[in-house]
Amino acid sequence: MTGRDRISAENLHAGYGTQDIVKAVSCSFAPGTFTGIIGPNGSGKTTLLRAFSRVIPSGGILELDGKAVSDHTPTELGMALGFVPQDEARPFSYTVMQVVLMARYARTSRLGSLMPEDYSRCHQAFAQTGVAHLADRSIRTLSGGEWQRVLIARALAQDTKVLLLDEPTSHLDLSHQSEILSLMRDLAESGVTIIGVFHDLNLAALYCDRLIMIQNGQMVADGPPAQVLTPEKIRHVYGAEVVTSCHPATGRTFLMPVKTQNGNGSALSLMNVQVISGGGSGSDLMRFLAGKGLAVSAGVLATTDSDYLTATALEIPCIPVLPFSQIPAHALEKLRTMLAKADKIVLSVHPVGTGNLPVLQVLRDMNPARIIIHLPEGRDFASFDFARGAAVTAYHDLRTAGAYTATSYEEIVAFLRADALRKPQR
Amino acid sequence: MTRTVPVIICLSIAAITTIVLCTFIGPAGFGFVSTASGAADIIGSIRLPRVLAAFFVGASLAVAGAAMQALFKNPMADPYILGTSSGGALGASLAIVFFGGLFVPVFAWIGAVVAILIVWSIAGRRGVISVETLLLTGIAVSFFFSAIVSFLIAIAGQNVHQIIFWLMGGFWNASPADAVLSACILIPAGLLLFFMGRDLNALSLGEETAAHLGIDAARARWTVLGGSTLLVAGAVSIAGSIGFVGLVCPHIVRMLLGPDNRVVIPACILVGGILLVISDTLTRTYFSDLPVGIITAFIGAPFFIWLIWQRGEVT
Repeated sequence: MTGRDRISAENLHAGYGTQDIVKAVSCSFAPGTFTGIIGPNGSGKTTLLRAFSRVIPSGGILELDGKAVSDHTPTELGMALGFVPQDEARPFSYTVMQVVLMARYARTSRLGSLMPEDYSRCHQAFAQTGVAHLADRSIRTLSGGEWQRVLIARALAQDTKVLLLDEPTSHLDLSHQSEILSLMRDLAESGVTIIGVFHDLNLAALYCDRLIMIQNGQMVADGPPAQVLTPEKIRHVYGAEVVTSCHPATGRTFLMPVKTQNGNGSALSLMNVQVISGGGSGSDLMRFLAGKGLAVSAGVLATTDSDYLTATALEIPCIPVLPFSQIPAHALEKLRTMLAKADKIVLSVHPVGTGNLPVLQVLRDMNPARIIIHLPEGRDFASFDFARGAAVTAYHDLRTAGAYTATSYEEIVAFLRADALRKPQR
Repeated sequence: MTRTVPVIICLSIAAITTIVLCTFIGPAGFGFVSTASGAADIIGSIRLPRVLAAFFVGASLAVAGAAMQALFKNPMADPYILGTSSGGALGASLAIVFFGGLFVPVFAWIGAVVAILIVWSIAGRRGVISVETLLLTGIAVSFFFSAIVSFLIAIAGQNVHQIIFWLMGGFWNASPADAVLSACILIPAGLLLFFMGRDLNALSLGEETAAHLGIDAARARWTVLGGSTLLVAGAVSIAGSIGFVGLVCPHIVRMLLGPDNRVVIPACILVGGILLVISDTLTRTYFSDLPVGIITAFIGAPFFIWLIWQRGEVT
């Protein structure tokens, strides 16, 4: 804990009744930072935020500007902390203006009338959140998104050094999401400490400079988005499969969910399938097979090949080699060992030149009953031959030796499934 | 809002006019200038105290109703929601059945306050309490007390009539002391709630919101409940449980002036007072002094339905 921190918590516990939802959280927030709190449903994100805003009782140490939160008066807290709830009840028809002016309560005396600067601050907040045109509307007539922006405007008009946001963009459309979050970024850069609960991990990664991941009320990760949003952590905390990458346009981490392996007891999930492809012919196939829950591995792939990119993104093991060069002997040796371990080999028919011809020769040494050749309907081997007939011969030899030929992905899976069901009877 | 001041001025004029006019209306039928013997007596010691008591009680109920609606974030809340009326009814019934009708107001007051204290202590048992818990506890305690009142009615014999009349509320026995007493409660408690106006505004969006806006939500809640309890217990002990005034007046005011409680509270004093004085004058002049609660419900319920019909939404 340094004296510079706006908020610092040490061994913070909080919850409802006797049960602690937030357990032993220690963290601190410096001025001018934008931190995202992430975690699965029910992990205690909102509870943690409400503990920071002291509306629920908490144990442990919680300091605001170096002074225990409990030593601040409610008025001081109203001037120091702004809070944007996910939603708020609207039982009475206040106008938007009336609701936003409530932000100034902490700064005016009980019956003291508002000063021109109070009004100008509110108008500024209206402009920042794009709700100026709603000022005289009854809050009961607003849409969910409009109301959320009014709540944000009210928190802004409070003029606080700390802003706590509980899923501030949950009701907003795409353009308002980015407007509001860019505004928060700007505020952070001007020195405001912003802490937000986020459901959308990509939004959090895009705008926050730090993410805190919560699971069962405990902090499991704390750091820059790139360090927190790793496939391993997401799998561990959310139980979801994702691929992460650095977005080429924003330079920020982003992630994509991939189909969860719904093992559903299918025999397929126990199967090791090696995909031999090249020139992008295997990308769709690998995604398809991985999506069916199969353990997929790939073969020798040049690092410029889109198949290579797909394999890395899906965390599929493969043998990377330099593009436009002969496949080195050790790579072929490695391929042999991998093929030996695979239950089935799917050979996606792909362009073959003298460079990658040795791969087909390796396959000829394997038991043809383990090989499935995928040849898209209406195509023939000749159109993939760039080795003056040698490739056609190699493909034909595999087929005549007894390799199964499939024309669609579904056919491949059907074949694999039939095979998997036969196996246990052996 | 720009119309606040003119509307408040109009309501003030209407309130004074109502008090003056209603003092000169009654079954004895005196005109404004009457020299009939006893006229001064009837007007000074019977009608004026009754009109003033009705005004202050109506104002108390309306103000407490507005405060409760804001506190409970619910426009359907009424001042009796935490059990004051059933507590008062129990106190009054006990006095009627066991003490031959002596000290009914005192018993009613004690009953009302005891009911609130029970609700507070049950709801606050765990330290942290929500207004929702308070509301549910209030309803439960109300039902329990009402059950005892029903039991007392069943065994009351000849006193049934008295209990039922008390339950419906009225100003038959309003004395100058009642008028003074109700004013003495209304002025400080009404002022207190007026000063709590912005706290009420914030509380009406939720206690957490109020806290986030820098308001000591717990203290505000107890202050509002304390002020309202004084108002309602006073009203109940003087006039029994008169329905609808506390529910409808805040709605009328919000329709006229919007929901800002810094305006709603003072306006409720005027509107609640006017409404109850007119209702009481109607019953004592034209309906052989039926309980005024019948009149308020008779006017209030259809009015409320019309209000919902018109607006399609609450104020």
